[in-house]
This record gives sequence, structure tokens and C-alpha cells, in this order.
Amino acid sequence: MDVSTTVFAVSCPGTPITGTRALQKERQLNQFLAEVERRALRIAEIGVRDRDEALDLVQDAMIKLVRNYSERSHEEWAPLFYRILQNGVRDWHRRQAVRNRVMVWFGRKSSDDNDYDAIAAAPDPAGRAPDEELQSSQAMQRLEAAVHELPTRQREAFMLRTFEGLDVAGTAMAMGCSQGSVKTHYSRAVHSLREQLEDHRPE
Amino acid sequence: MNEPDDTFEKKLKATFDASVDELDAARLSRLNRSRHAALAELQRPRHQWSIWMPATGVAAAVVVAVMVMQSPTAVNEIPGTATVTDMEILLGEDSIEMLEELEFYSWIDTAEMEGDVG
Repeated sequence: MDVSTTVFAVSCPGTPITGTRALQKERQLNQFLAEVERRALRIAEIGVRDRDEALDLVQDAMIKLVRNYSERSHEEWAPLFYRILQNGVRDWHRRQAVRNRVMVWFGRKSSDDNDYDAIAAAPDPAGRAPDEELQSSQAMQRLEAAVHELPTRQREAFMLRTFEGLDVAGTAMAMGCSQGSVKTHYSRAVHSLREQLEDHRPE
Repeated sequence: MNEPDDTFEKKLKATFDASVDELDAARLSRLNRSRHAALAELQRPRHQWSIWMPATGVAAAVVVAVMVMQSPTAVNEIPGTATVTDMEILLGEDSIEMLEELEFYSWIDTAEMEGDVG
């Protein structure tokens, strides 16, 4: 037994020792999840506009990826993870639509009426001046609102391509559509955002 | 991972990245816990039945196929013959009479085959 296996056995008492390959897989998955989790959370937050729900969706996506696709190649993890996450976001919207209809039926206020401030309560770890921080917050709020207004498929294509940095093939896999569709959705999304966020345009 | 080429998209990406960097400690902590919860799935043994289910399904299908192929009715019976005979009997003029004496005709038939009659 080598050193790494020994460490694994000590750190996880009562669990089966499955060797260095399992340990290596765990490390790779940990590295992958640590790399994508913060961007994934922000993408989910923009998608559902609810912090707690977004955290739950990201956790579900992590668990499903590890449970069902840990044996797949490392290159496939990102598209698979985002596919699970996007499916989760879509399911969440479907449930919300049903819930809101029920709430309206019983004369209750819809949850969409809540004002969501994506940046509120977030401290500035970069230590910027308040006016600089405010400017950045306002820019993100505008961007977030504009992205949220996009049709679902355009929003997914834009966030996966621009925010997450997936290529066209990876985005197509994550969205479950053709590469041609990704290009169309992405192009339309950028066009819409240009119109809404003119001050971001290069001079 | 591809970086966006366009300056406009780069600016949007930079704005987004800034918001990622500004995630508060509570959310970062929750993400950390979520990641460890997910990785714990690797240690969870899969149910035995889920491992054997595909093999069991194939075995069951083979058993059913063999049973169907080995069935005496499936192999030896000539479909249609008995049905035609029955129809002729039922459509015949003296079918009612015959049905009334079905036991007798059955005995005649058996006796003829054994050579006791005639």
C-alpha cells in the first residue's frame, strides 16, 4: 500500500479502500468542482434569481455528476455538469410556474414579486472604494437583469459560452442541441445584450 | 475553455468574473460543503441489485425464450387443423345430435384407433 492509499484509509475510516485510482478520481473531481462551483453558482443565481435555490441546484448538480458520471472522461465533466445544472434550472422554473398558479388560485402573492438584489450583502474582498464597488455592482445588476430577460435558450447559450467559457461543442452538449443552434442562440443573445447595454460597447 | 474574442463580450465576462470574486463567505462555505457532500457519493457503495439488474434481466429473457421454444403446444400443434374440423362439425346439419352424444363418438374414436371396433 502506498502513502496516498494509507492517507485515504486514515481519513475515511469505515469506508472501503478502493486504491489509488479511486483516490486520484476523487482528487480530479474535487479539483473540477472547486474550479467551476463559483461560476456555476452565479450562473444558477442569474437563472433562478434566488440565492438559496441556486445553492441547492448547484449541490444537486454536483451530486448527480459524481454519482452518475464520475467514470466519464475529465473533458466531459464540464458539459455534463452544466447540462445537469441547466436541467435543474428549467425544472425549477416549471415548479415555480405551477406553484405560482396555485398561489394565485388561493389569492396569495406570487414569489416572483420578491425583489432580488444579487449583490446585496456581499462584502468586497478586493478592498475597493465604496464608489468603485457601487459602480461594479450596478454594472453587474444591469448585466444580470439584461441576461435574465433573454429567452431561456439564448440565456443558456450566452452564459455557457461567455461566462463559463465552454466551446460550441461543449455548449451544444450541455444544452442538448446542435452546434448550429448554439451559434444561433448565442448570436441573438449577444445582439440583444448589445442593444440593452450600449455603454459596454468598445469606443 | 474558450475566452470570448469580442471586446464587448470580454467586458461582460469581466463584469461577471468580478461578481464571482465577490461571493460572500457564507456562500463559499456552502459551496465547500456541497462539494464534499458530492464527493462522499464516491464512497457510497452501489446497491447490489442495481449491479446485477442488467444481467438478471438478460437471464430472465433467455429463460422465457427457451420456455416458449420448448413448449410442446408451440412445436407439435399444427395450428388451424383442429379449428377447421371443429367448424365443420359445428356447421353440419347433425351437429346438435352429435354434441348430445359426444361421449359416445369419443368412445368410438378411441376404440377405432385401438382396433377394438370394426
